[in-house]
Amino acid sequence: MKKSTTPTPPQPPRWADTLLQWFCAPHLLEELQGDLHEEFYYQVDRIGLRRARWLYVREVLGFVRPFAIKRQANSSASLYYSSTSFLQLNMLKNYFTLAWRNLWRNKGYATINVAGLSVAFCICVFLFLTVYLQLTFDSFHQDKERIFQTYFFANNPDKTTRSGNMPLPLAPALKLEYEEVEAAARVLMSWKSLVTYQDKNLDKDVVFTDPDFLKIFSFQLLQGNRETALTNKNSILISQNLAQAIFGNDDPMGKVLQITNGGKQKGYMVTGILPDAPFNSSIRYDALVRIENYPNYLPDQKNWTSNSHQVFIKLNPQVNQATFEKRLKLFARKYLAESLQNLQKNGAKPDSRGDIFTVRLQQLSKVHFDTEISKGPPIAIIYALLGIACFILFIACINFINLSIARSFTRAKEVGVRKYLGALKSQLFVQIWSESALICFIGLALGAILAHLLLPEFNATFDTRLQYAHLHQPGFLALLLGVFILVTLIAGGYPAWLMARFNAVAVLKGKISLKKPGFLRNSLLVSQFVMSCLLTCCTIIALQQVEHLRQKPLGFEKEQVISIPVGTQANGRQVLQRLRNKLANDPTVLAVTGTSVNLGKGKDHVSSRSTIGLTYKGKEVASDLLLVDYDYLKTLQIPLLAGREFSKSYPSDSVDRVIITQSMAEMLGEKQAVGTFIKDDADTTNSKMEVIGVVPDFHLYSAADEKRPVMMHFSHSEPINYIFIRVAPQSLKYSMDKMKALWREVAPGSEYTGSFLDENIAAWYQNEEKLAQICSLASAIAIILSCSGLFAVALLVMEQRTKEIGIRKVLGASVTDIIYILSRDFVKLVVVALVIAIPLAWFLMHQWLNNYSYRIEISAWVFVGVGLVAMVLALLTVSFQSIKAAIMNPVKSLKTE
Amino acid sequence: MKRTYLGEFEEIVLLTVVLLEGQAYGVAITHQIIEQTGRSVRLNQVHAALHRLEEKGMVASKMGEATAERGGRRKRLFTITAYGEQTLLDIQAVRTQLLSLLPRALKPSISL
Repeated sequence: MKKSTTPTPPQPPRWADTLLQWFCAPHLLEELQGDLHEEFYYQVDRIGLRRARWLYVREVLGFVRPFAIKRQANSSASLYYSSTSFLQLNMLKNYFTLAWRNLWRNKGYATINVAGLSVAFCICVFLFLTVYLQLTFDSFHQDKERIFQTYFFANNPDKTTRSGNMPLPLAPALKLEYEEVEAAARVLMSWKSLVTYQDKNLDKDVVFTDPDFLKIFSFQLLQGNRETALTNKNSILISQNLAQAIFGNDDPMGKVLQITNGGKQKGYMVTGILPDAPFNSSIRYDALVRIENYPNYLPDQKNWTSNSHQVFIKLNPQVNQATFEKRLKLFARKYLAESLQNLQKNGAKPDSRGDIFTVRLQQLSKVHFDTEISKGPPIAIIYALLGIACFILFIACINFINLSIARSFTRAKEVGVRKYLGALKSQLFVQIWSESALICFIGLALGAILAHLLLPEFNATFDTRLQYAHLHQPGFLALLLGVFILVTLIAGGYPAWLMARFNAVAVLKGKISLKKPGFLRNSLLVSQFVMSCLLTCCTIIALQQVEHLRQKPLGFEKEQVISIPVGTQANGRQVLQRLRNKLANDPTVLAVTGTSVNLGKGKDHVSSRSTIGLTYKGKEVASDLLLVDYDYLKTLQIPLLAGREFSKSYPSDSVDRVIITQSMAEMLGEKQAVGTFIKDDADTTNSKMEVIGVVPDFHLYSAADEKRPVMMHFSHSEPINYIFIRVAPQSLKYSMDKMKALWREVAPGSEYTGSFLDENIAAWYQNEEKLAQICSLASAIAIILSCSGLFAVALLVMEQRTKEIGIRKVLGASVTDIIYILSRDFVKLVVVALVIAIPLAWFLMHQWLNNYSYRIEISAWVFVGVGLVAMVLALLTVSFQSIKAAIMNPVKSLKTE
Repeated sequence: MKRTYLGEFEEIVLLTVVLLEGQAYGVAITHQIIEQTGRSVRLNQVHAALHRLEEKGMVASKMGEATAERGGRRKRLFTITAYGEQTLLDIQAVRTQLLSLLPRALKPSISL
């Protein structure tokens, strides 16, 4: 080696050289690099090392030109192909034509793929839409990160409770005391009121609120002045919907509406029109009026213990939630000292933040998913749906991959010939991938059409209001596009890449076959089966739990009882009286009663609950309070444990007499409850309630909850909201029709919304049922998709082993032997899948069931059953292929060689 | 008349190849053009032009000897083909013809 005269000879930048080597065509590299180096040394002498290096880089970059960029120069086909870039339109057109012909020739394969994909896409559209709508709840408000709902946090000795119901004086006090609060509004929803204008009577949701409502929420006024719309106590803002219903095309502004609630009618002047609340809004309204009009406003105005409504506040931009919550600690101590002391007396200890009882804030974006504050769905369900959607998509992708790989072997010859003729890897990749993209596109299009057609059905079944219009939102479109690209890339790209790598010579010699069943393919199959088994197990257990809840004895007889909401247009007490008169001699009617609270969820969707808390002989007693009428126990067939029911023969029953449930009696600590007087220690008015009867516990609210103590009282003055009628079992349908007809006579002008109590009760489990239904649908689809995937792989294996089977047969193997040999491997895969899926399913469902106090035990039979079914299905799918292969004439398969 | 497609820069490069008489390769051509015409030319432009000329069949090339400053890499030496020479002559003929047809002689431009 020659020694250089300079100790370190100047060198051009190494990385630029590497770059050149990477992109430069190999046959040009030597001369180009030589020239570059020669130029470099020339320039070093002329302009110095630094500038020469800089120039060198510029020169290298200058060579990024078509003539110098890497191409295969030595292949005989290069002249033809090298001038054809694989992104040329003609070539793409050619690929799609080829793809179309290939699909047409293999209709079965194409059908499985397209059907699987379109079903998966369709389900995913629904699920993604549902999730999208749920996750964007309340997100349309401009300052949403500054808007909070207040709630009471109480660290009871046994558990912590959070409640979003606030007393009337709270919001004004907050606004007065804390300058951080920019606006605060009380919101009282779910209050049906009668809206009257001329001859029109409508039951509508009138929301009672404060003028700050419009400062907090960004519902844009369509008409009216935002600043002054609610300054007057007699103002009313109505929704577009209501305006249309009452005024049609007339201008509603300035007109006076009559609103009746709590038996009092009052006139309100329309000062603005609001758009209808979007589906994903927690705040729902038909009209807004000032909260001062709320019937109990005057008595409760200063009452800190009567909790009736939600409070929303908007903080100043710089205020931090945690800091503000710290400041709020004093607030509870100042205004709610009594509750705090009561808790302390009961042994409540401060939690980790040092709070026993305090006011806290929940962000608006989280309100919808807060099951305690707003009774929304738990966010876990939303994520479960998202997960299921991904599962299904994933299974469909796996199928796609497996099917494409399976087919790629039958097409190996085509690939070989193309390669021999000089097709580049990239060209083969694009060709095969374009086929997948075509299938995927057809699948997507069909899925979209399917989704479009099934949307009304889906909405009806799952009681949602998904709209196709939501699909046009950019976020959702982007998501869908992303899914499409991902699916084509994963599902189409992998097999395409695999095939493009085939060794041309080996293929043409007929030697191509995977030596051992691909690890990747097997793991894909296993994960597919894990998912479908998991979904199936979870679905079965969820269904069992729902059924369990439904079958649970509620403490009353729910069959044969018609429940009619009285509505706001009629006086419940009068209607009840008239009905009793009309039905007195009807043999098909067994009993009639009235009450304040519906059981289950009726057609009016209203639920209300009233509770009472008192200190009895030094003990804290909390109970549900239920207004009943004569024959309540008879109508619902609740047996008496002791005492008697309210009766007309005791005229004094309407004053301070109660029937209590067993758990209430236990809470009072009285062995002989009948005859005792319940009295609040703190009450000085000497009012007391005499217990006249004890009944077993029954479920007044959802059976998923524990039974709570109930105190039933009787009154001649309080409003009756629901009428229950027990009818004879022979003629349920007939009775329903008769009631409907009778309703027109007893309550003219009021709509009949009666329903059977058992239907109402079923509506309690809507959430569980919806979830279970979606899960069953999803798992059914997952299983079908997995089986079609298995089918495809079986097809692949049979094709690969045709010769082996032929030889085995010639050597004397029986058909059974061959089926056994062929099915063995698949059964192994299914067993592995089950071993993974079952513990996972058990764990997940165990967690889920913990939410229910009344729950089933997970039975091992579920897993055994699912395992067996999975095995049988897999065997059936595989055996279809293996029998075909086993009974094939070996001469045929061996002759080809 | 048969048309020959030769860009102006290609023409310069082709002429330089003739000028260098068997010693024409990338760097030499580049330096020669810079020297003779004073235009700032970069190596990659010259190579691209040479590549095009070769595709058009106006130059032929063979690998030459290696030198130390090239890191032992050989250079590609270009020579003009008969077709290339013919093209140059054609171009010249067209120009002469056109100039001779001009109604008045062109004044030499004044350069400062």
